[in-house]
Amino acid sequence: MMSSGTINLTLKVWRQDNSRARGALSTYTLRNISTDMSFLEMLDVLNEQLLLTGEEPVAFDHDCREGICGMCGAVVNGQPHGPERETSLCQLHMRHFKSGDTLVIEPFRARAFKVVKDLVVDRSSFDTIIQAGGYVSVNAGGAPDGNALPISQQNAEQAMDAAACIGCGACVAACPNAAAMLFVSGKVSQLALLPQGHPERKERALNMVKTMDDLGFGNCTNERECEAACPKGISIRHIARLNREFLKAAVTGE
Amino acid sequence: MILDAKIPAGNLAEKWERHCFSSKLVNPANKRKYKIIVVGSGLAGASAAATLAELGYNVHCLTIHDSPRRAHSIAAQGGINAAKNYQNDGDSVFRLFYDTIKGGDFRSREANVYRLAQLSNNIIDQCVAQGVPFAREYGGQLANRSFGGAQVSRTFYARGQTGQQLLLGAYSSLSRQVKLGKVTMMPRREMLDLVVEEGRARGIVVRNLISGEIECHGGHAVVLATGGYGNAFYLSTNAMASNVTAAFRAYKRGACFANPCYVQIHPTCIPVHGDYQSKLTLMSESLRNDGRVWVPKKTGDSRPPEQIPESERDYYLEQKYPSFGNLVPRDVASRNAKEQCDQGKGAGETGLAVYLDFTEAIKRDGEATIIRKYGNLFQMYEKITASNPMHTPMMIYPAVHYTMGGLWVDYNLMSNIPGLFVLGEANFSDHGANRLGASALMQGLADGYFVIPSTIGGYLAGCSHDDVDTGTDSFQSTRQEADGSLKKLLGLNGKRTVDDFHKELGKLLWDHCGMARHKDGLEQALARIPEIRGEFWDNAYVSGSGTEFNQTLEKAGRVADFLEFAELMVHDALQRQESCGCHLREESQTKEHEALRDDENYSYVSAWQYQGDAKPLLHKEPLSFENVELTSRSYK
Amino acid sequence: MMVVRINTCEMSGRMCMKVVRRFCGTSVGRKYIMALSGAGLAIFLVVHLLGNTSIFFGAQAFNSYAEHMHGLGPLVSVAEVVLLLFFLVHISFGATLFIRNSLARSSRYEVNRSSGGRTPGSRTMFYSGLMVLVLVIFHLFTVHFANHPGPISALIRSEFASLPVSLFYIVGLAAVGLHLSHGLWSIWQSLGVNHPLYDLTLDRGALLGAVVIAGLFMVFPILGLLWDGFLR
Ligand SMILES: Cc1cc2nc3c(=O)[nH]c(=O)nc-3n(C[C@H](O)[C@H](O)[C@H](O)COP(=O)(O)OP(=O)(O)OC[C@H]3O[C@@H](n4cnc5c(N)ncnc54)[C@H](O)[C@@H]3O)c2cc1C
Ligand code: HEM
Ligand code: HEM
Ligand code: SF4
Ligand code: F3S
Ligand code: FES
Repeated sequence: MMSSGTINLTLKVWRQDNSRARGALSTYTLRNISTDMSFLEMLDVLNEQLLLTGEEPVAFDHDCREGICGMCGAVVNGQPHGPERETSLCQLHMRHFKSGDTLVIEPFRARAFKVVKDLVVDRSSFDTIIQAGGYVSVNAGGAPDGNALPISQQNAEQAMDAAACIGCGACVAACPNAAAMLFVSGKVSQLALLPQGHPERKERALNMVKTMDDLGFGNCTNERECEAACPKGISIRHIARLNREFLKAAVTGE
Repeated sequence: MILDAKIPAGNLAEKWERHCFSSKLVNPANKRKYKIIVVGSGLAGASAAATLAELGYNVHCLTIHDSPRRAHSIAAQGGINAAKNYQNDGDSVFRLFYDTIKGGDFRSREANVYRLAQLSNNIIDQCVAQGVPFAREYGGQLANRSFGGAQVSRTFYARGQTGQQLLLGAYSSLSRQVKLGKVTMMPRREMLDLVVEEGRARGIVVRNLISGEIECHGGHAVVLATGGYGNAFYLSTNAMASNVTAAFRAYKRGACFANPCYVQIHPTCIPVHGDYQSKLTLMSESLRNDGRVWVPKKTGDSRPPEQIPESERDYYLEQKYPSFGNLVPRDVASRNAKEQCDQGKGAGETGLAVYLDFTEAIKRDGEATIIRKYGNLFQMYEKITASNPMHTPMMIYPAVHYTMGGLWVDYNLMSNIPGLFVLGEANFSDHGANRLGASALMQGLADGYFVIPSTIGGYLAGCSHDDVDTGTDSFQSTRQEADGSLKKLLGLNGKRTVDDFHKELGKLLWDHCGMARHKDGLEQALARIPEIRGEFWDNAYVSGSGTEFNQTLEKAGRVADFLEFAELMVHDALQRQESCGCHLREESQTKEHEALRDDENYSYVSAWQYQGDAKPLLHKEPLSFENVELTSRSYK
Repeated sequence: MMVVRINTCEMSGRMCMKVVRRFCGTSVGRKYIMALSGAGLAIFLVVHLLGNTSIFFGAQAFNSYAEHMHGLGPLVSVAEVVLLLFFLVHISFGATLFIRNSLARSSRYEVNRSSGGRTPGSRTMFYSGLMVLVLVIFHLFTVHFANHPGPISALIRSEFASLPVSLFYIVGLAAVGLHLSHGLWSIWQSLGVNHPLYDLTLDRGALLGAVVIAGLFMVFPILGLLWDGFLR
């Protein structure tokens, strides 16, 4: 195991000073990159190299480095989080690349995600969407016993499938329409599958969809790219459920 | 200074209720006039911010991350404990209390831990009501598993993503309050200092990480929920941004830092594979239920594990601890792994790993069963190492995981600076010298949802609700100091990167202030740390400017604090000449080389007070036990 | 009594407006409109195809089918208006979506590569739709609005005898097939029908449906070109 081969790479990295500046690709070469490295560790090596030559390191977001915080993410050769299925950038390892490869690394692009710097984008629009209804209105204190409300195992599992979203934004980055449907559908679906979410389900669907639209995300045309790029394998089945939730709410909602 | 823990009088089971009753209340009409600053939006911070806002306070919440949902809490895998006794297996509040206090090796306060056990049940109810998709049985009831060596099944979980789901639950409540205008959420802000005015915490100084602007935020109370300091060791299972900065700067403003040497080392992590390694990944402890731990008998045996015959394998845990075998507690498992590797019997290229072998379990239960049980963990392992544990034994090694120490707080979670409250991993309160699995999530949420909402009123009721003026001298001078230290960092124009120093510090701490400690090693570390620090200020390089998004600068600030904080850790480790909880003090062992606790001399909380350049001052808060008998652990 | 009735009227009127706004003014609502109009058009296409199969039974059968259709009188006019409406709605919403979606991505990627979700059909919806539109307009002007002295069979026969016209049809029909290869699956997803049990069936079914519909339509221009006995 851990065969430590090494590879040489050419990187073309998007450099942009801030949200107002114009960006462009810069080219760097990296030698002797261990194939056991994660993609982000490869970027660390690049940054150490840049720092030692007095250049500005590449800004990129990251935190947990184990595929759960949703902080990391860039588009590698056209694919958000790179080529591996159900793998976030921090979980992508360099053994999936060959020596001599050229990697073009760009930020997630969408009108609703402004570039902060280099590969860092502002995804606060996701928070705004959740604020529009991605919750159950319950204050701490008065909750009934956890077992007072039985929930079928199947529903709990499906709700968990939907809830596994890490809010990384790759779905938006991958969608040809920069739509946020997969993200929104995860939350709407989770709370539609659980009885706790039912009292507010109509307003939730209407408000979250409206907020998503107002923020400048595109319209879904069922391209299925989001699902393919999603590091958590969230299925577009949840988008279908969101559509149903929306229909019910639109026709019968106050 | 006398540290008063303010433990309410009375019978253990009634303390909390009576305390809530006797605490002063804030008039509901006045609540919105009180502004509370919550720093951090992990489990503790997000739950506190949301709940305080529900009560009507005017809450401002800040976090380093771009969204509250990213906090390090998101990574917790295993689960959260509660004394629900849904399994009818004899669990109770008292048993959870007992297990937790015993797990902490009798180095925590009875009253705090009992309260935690009591509130554990309310946490589950609250999270279920929020729509947290906990695992369920076929009949629709909540499922439980046993975790971390507990004799009862009391751990609630949501696949391997419990922390994520709990945090998203707290985040959803927080988002609701943001929408209602009760919480002002300020992401991408790093707290640089605490403002103390007339002896009270009155606000904070932060850096806006996008614009670089230094901002002052005033409030009637400051709540720190900034997580643990495990990253002092550079390599740990903590998220990259986890830091000690907020807590350490509060310490420098007078808050006592308690038990800084208590650090938990988790035995089952994926080993280090190169010096470029940036962090360590935890593999669930449940693996030890079916995996057998071994190393080659011969030192320096470099054959692949499949080629090492049965007779040349040393199943050292089974040998040494026949009754517990591979299921010995975290600290014992970790220590023994390190011991084996130090003897040169470690596996893999680095020699810093032991095998965790599933061959026998696969033979016994069949491939299908093992895959069902551990399939996703195996996948995760394979993703990182490109090796499949179904065919080749897994390699594991211990890693820094959790820090029990933190800012000293009383029963109200208030530090010795009035108005400064500390929650979650950032305080020291409930885990003693060792944390039981699945209890950090419990503590963070108990603090945030239930404790602070009841105790903060007692403080605020005695404060005027006039607006806090951030134009005062104390704010402005604190701000200038913060600005000054940033400028100093930006002036560093040496040859070594910040990470390089961090790595060096981490290695030093791991070697001398990790699982096993010895006076000589600790003294060596104590001598070396100031040297590293000196070289940092001489020869580090920080790029960019202060008026932009600058991750190098952020990192440099955090590492600079670790470089000072490490010394405090070592001081604490040095004074505690007993083995307890997570670590072995080599001078304090039984004849069989087992940890030897010294209740006579060390049954206290060590709380350190900052003294400028001089050695920090140690205060001891004695611990007394009226409801449990102090027993020593034995796993033979 | 009166007052109450007015109030309920007003209320339901307002409610209706709200519902209309919810459908026309939001992305998911527009998705339903696209799907329903697309489904309507697809149904028309199938019916049209079935009607056209009378061609296989010779000129007589075809002509009498056409006459029969014309004989339905007002019913046909109603159907035509509905069909026109569907076209207009589908096209205007399709165009709106296209424009809005182009705006949702402010800067383009330097490298474009699919993560594995798109299909040739889904990639080209707008362009294949445009080609369909061109085909339909041409078709209407040459068959529907054309003054033809003889029976309809003669008209179609002479149309498809011309190589450029037939080729034009074949290309247009390929676009129809491409459009439907995504569209027939997409309808279900948009309407919220997606389940692991039958998603694969819907997906393959759409492809099959698209090939069958476009293929069968293509038979006519091909026969017209190659077979002397076509509609004689
Ligand atoms: C891999 C892993 C698995 C774990 N599994 C379990 C488990 O199964 N069960 C269990 O009970 N526990 C587990 N733990 C422990 C548990 O996750 C943590 O102890 C707990 O989540 C800490 O929560 P917190 O709210 O105190 O801090 P954190 O979640 O660390 O949050 C800290 C917050 O403070 C902010 N912050 C920090 N510094 C600053 C600053 N200077 N300025 C502004 N903001 C700041 C951060 O942005 C963040 O929002 C696990 C830990 C790890 C590492
Ligand atoms: C007979 C003619 C046509 C038929 C049968 C048809 C059918 C369909 C169907 C079934 C869909 C899928 C709807 C969905 O997403 O659920 C669709 C989508 C679409 N159509 Fe058409 N269409 C026709 C003509 C046109 C024309 C003339 C245009 C004009 C430009 C057009 C543009 C589009 C576009 C852009 C979409 C994608 C939008 C989306 O999927 O939401 N179509 N069509
Ligand atoms: C290639 C084979 C086709 C043949 C032989 C054919 C034949 C006809 C005929 C005979 C008519 C009736 C004209 C009249 O009496 O007014 C007609 C009408 C029409 N056709 Fe086609 N057609 C074909 C393909 C298509 C396709 C692919 C479409 C759509 C995309 C289409 C759309 C229409 C429409 C919209 C009308 C007008 C219907 C009405 O208003 O009554 N046709 N076609
Ligand atoms: S749905 Fe998937 S891709 Fe989209 S934000 Fe969530 S985890 Fe990321
Ligand atoms: S890729 Fe985009 S178009 Fe819809 S199905 Fe996914 S959001
Ligand atoms: S860094 Fe957390 S998901 Fe990648």
